[in-house]
Amino acid sequence: MTELLVVIAGLGAPGFLLALAVAGASPVLVFLAPLIGAGLAAVAAVLELGVGGSLLAWYVAVAVIANVAVVALWLARVRFPAPADPPWEWSILTLAVVLVALIIPLRALRAELIGWDANSIWLTHALMVSGGHHALVSGLKNPVYLFSNPDYPPLVPAAGGLAFALFGRGDLHIAPGTTVLLNACALGVVGAGIAALGSGRRQLTRLGAIAAGGAICLVGFAVAGQFGVNGYTDLLWAAAAVGAVIWGLVLPRGTQALVIAWICAAVATLTKNEGLTTGLALLVLIALRYRPLTLSWVRRLRRRSEGRRFPDVAAWPVAREWAERAGFVVVPALPGLVWAGLIHRLGISDRFFESPSSETLVLRAHATIDGMAAQLAVAPVAAAVLVAGCCLLRRDRERARFGNPAWLWLACLASLLTIFATYVFGGYEIYGWLTYSVNRTTIFAQLLLYAELAIWLVIALDTAFADDRVQQRNATPSAVSAAGGPRS
Amino acid sequence: MTRYMRMPGRVAPDGRSVAAARRHLARRIGCALIVATASVALGLSVHHGLQTTTALLRPRAIRGSVVADRQEECIYHGIRADLPKGAAVYINDQVHIQRLAELSTLWAVPQRRRATARWTIALVPDSPHGPGSHLRWRCYGLALEVRRT
Repeated sequence: MTELLVVIAGLGAPGFLLALAVAGASPVLVFLAPLIGAGLAAVAAVLELGVGGSLLAWYVAVAVIANVAVVALWLARVRFPAPADPPWEWSILTLAVVLVALIIPLRALRAELIGWDANSIWLTHALMVSGGHHALVSGLKNPVYLFSNPDYPPLVPAAGGLAFALFGRGDLHIAPGTTVLLNACALGVVGAGIAALGSGRRQLTRLGAIAAGGAICLVGFAVAGQFGVNGYTDLLWAAAAVGAVIWGLVLPRGTQALVIAWICAAVATLTKNEGLTTGLALLVLIALRYRPLTLSWVRRLRRRSEGRRFPDVAAWPVAREWAERAGFVVVPALPGLVWAGLIHRLGISDRFFESPSSETLVLRAHATIDGMAAQLAVAPVAAAVLVAGCCLLRRDRERARFGNPAWLWLACLASLLTIFATYVFGGYEIYGWLTYSVNRTTIFAQLLLYAELAIWLVIALDTAFADDRVQQRNATPSAVSAAGGPRS
Repeated sequence: MTRYMRMPGRVAPDGRSVAAARRHLARRIGCALIVATASVALGLSVHHGLQTTTALLRPRAIRGSVVADRQEECIYHGIRADLPKGAAVYINDQVHIQRLAELSTLWAVPQRRRATARWTIALVPDSPHGPGSHLRWRCYGLALEVRRT
């Protein structure tokens, strides 16, 4: 366990300054720093594959460049316009609750479980990544290793490779153990995000939000089951993607929330292929929330083109808006997209679509719907709470400047549709494929729906306490007068 | 309370109109329902998670995972002890092909065809008089068989 904590500290140290610059002295800093470190390790693995050299050399280089850039920006007095740091006692309480909520399921690390995929995919890739450019390229291209899905993104193997660099390759547990702690960090970002929903509100609402933040961490491990603690990476991409939704699509708009959402989305895109597609969809939604589509540019373009001789002058602001939106998507997803490009250039393809299936699309679709529905038992409850919340608390949600719930549901649908399409158009025998994977591929949707419940819980608590205050304020004079007391 | 709520135009004791009092009551009931539903759903999931953790930490479960784990480590070290680094190996074991390929990573180079390999490896049952009984690396029920081609 001490070794694992050293690895997480080793990942967190290079990410600390970046996390501090982004998140300030808020509780999310503790969980964000190791995720940023893992992201830097993934970038190092991309460079190892694309350019050459070893993981450790690239990791040091990337970490130094990133930290020097942060210090340079700091010296140049470029600051993120972050909201004021929360009072320290609330920060400590949030941190303590989230940490305790994460430590409870992490006790399972004592069992030292290593799951099938943790061995056959992630440990294999971690060994390849830790062996340098030649070992990585020849390993990924070796047809015997096709079972390990060589096209999978490099974040988890890179983190495992760094663990091997620190402690040697004698103890194989260190790589899956690192994945489990990264799962916990991603859930910590989600928990801190839910707790942040209560910031600046009444004390009871804050306490409720912090409790909900702790609960969502436990729920994350509950939804993942043993796959959260045996070195599988499904919880990592799912929790990172849910973190992107909470910070980018739910919490009030702001530079701090936006950058945290980008980091989470980048982690999701670098963790698994379904994380890449879901992360891209989330980045599009975040871009549209921060740079909304308006019809004014159509009207402006039409007016200019009718009235002036040079319509391209009018097109410039439009092009800039679209360039910004594209930047919002491409920049955070760049490492994941570059990895996918390099893998494509090496001639490695996704095994799921290698051979066509003999089953009909209707049969596959039907089986997939059944399989996914069985995992989404929370969906009707979340939908009912959504309807009640929209009917009764829509104004309260708007007043709190939280994002429209449609964003969250769109994100959920986008992910489910991508996974549905993969099952339907993939080549594996559908029933077996669903049996061993659908409980993992739907973790994102399940966790997101639980997060939606936690969000409405916080809003409802705030409204109820607000109504209590109003009622007490209204009732006090009459109660006092009825008791014969003086009128104020 | 129900009496003045049913009569339009009446004013509740707290000074608000009946319609406002109704709205207020509906909101309070709605908030209570949302809080209750969300709390129960989250609570049930948390309970399920705690049960899973407890099950994973049962001594029997831990024993099972420890055995699987030691077996894995034993095979991993066996491959590194019995094969030269960079050896071209053919995995002559369709049942354990993934496991052996994965544990060979960074030491041996698994080959698709036997013809290009200098060594073959396989896992055989390690029973007292079985084929694995004479092998050097006997790993919790399985033994590592390494041969030159």
